Amino acid sequence: MKSATTLALTAVCAAIAILLAGCSDMKTPTTADVAVSNAAVTNASTAGGAEYAPLEMRSAREKLEAANIALKNKDYKKADDLAKAAQADAALAQSKADTAKSQAAANALQTDIKVLQEQINHTNQ
Amino acid sequence: MKKISLKPVLAPTLLVMTLLVSACATTPRSTGLLEQTRSDYAMARNNPNVERLAPIEMEQATVAMNHANAASNQDDSAVEIDKLAYIAKDKIAQANEVTKQKLAERQIAQTAKERDQMILTQRTSEADKAKQDAAQSQLTTQAALAAAADSQRQAADAQAQAAALKAQLDDLSAKQTERGLVITMGDVLFGTDLSNLNSEGMRSAQKLADVLNKNPQRTVLVEGYTDSTGSSSHNQELSERRAMSVRTALVGMGISGDRVLTRGYGQSFPVAANDTSANRQMNRRVEIVLSDANGKIIQRQ
Repeated sequence: MKSATTLALTAVCAAIAILLAGCSDMKTPTTADVAVSNAAVTNASTAGGAEYAPLEMRSAREKLEAANIALKNKDYKKADDLAKAAQADAALAQSKADTAKSQAAANALQTDIKVLQEQINHTNQ
Repeated sequence: MKKISLKPVLAPTLLVMTLLVSACATTPRSTGLLEQTRSDYAMARNNPNVERLAPIEMEQATVAMNHANAASNQDDSAVEIDKLAYIAKDKIAQANEVTKQKLAERQIAQTAKERDQMILTQRTSEADKAKQDAAQSQLTTQAALAAAADSQRQAADAQAQAAALKAQLDDLSAKQTERGLVITMGDVLFGTDLSNLNSEGMRSAQKLADVLNKNPQRTVLVEGYTDSTGSSSHNQELSERRAMSVRTALVGMGISGDRVLTRGYGQSFPVAANDTSANRQMNRRVEIVLSDANGKIIQRQ
């Protein structure tokens, strides 16, 4: 009776372990996800994310690093989650950088116009 | 025995597992992050600019939000819900950023258009001003040239007039004195003690009349002088008569009387000593003083 219970529990545990570890074919999509995140972080950095969105940028880098570690440890579920979060952070950082640059350009143009208006007023005096 | 004992053990274990997996599907679990994300999402939804300018990003945010909500409804673990909420929150923020960026880009386009218009306006007004200045300076130059030409012509006219007058008076041996041009009609043009001009005198008078006709702005003062022979009253009278006879001749030749003044000075102002016959003849004379261009004559004091 006792050995039977142990056997049953062992079987159940094995089933759960297989269920939780998931299919070992998660390796390929997760590796791809981490690569995409890596590219997203690089793009955001190039766009000036560190300057215009330092918080998001740091978060993206940390998560990407953690994702890479998880991938190495074959913890694919964790790696995938971290990669997706890193992607979202990097995309947000890039958007923030793009927005800041556009707004800076708009402000510069506004200043140009002010200077120009002063020149015109001066000329017409 | 072995086979039978397995079933009662397995049944409760499976029940526990089922409970564990399905959990309480009816009561949704929520987290602080999920609530915050839902609030962000509602705000983005209420911003018409987001729907208009960042529809793709908003759609992705909606998908992420739905995943997080589904996890909540399935009563997934707080960790699982937060994981999905975190991504949704990022995507909502990204939609907001893209909206802001598009607004800034529109402002850039609008401002650039405004600036170009201003530059165009300024260039046009500068060009107009330059054109105006050029036209003005051309007018000024033309006026200055005209004035210069005018004054040159006036100077040339005056010079020509003076030269012409000099030439016209050359025949009459006019002399330039401090009183102006003076023509002396000698005694030979009159009979001795006679006041009337002889034919030679009339020819001289005619030349003078011609000069006066050509220079209508000029007038003359006719002055009679005698030598010291005879009484001074006689000489005075004679000098006046001789001056008058010149005037009469000129008026007879068509010169207006008010252009010919006469004066008799008798034996005053001799040009030579009255000691010889020749000197006395020089003193018997009529001097005709020509006015300046304005008809002005300097009289003897």
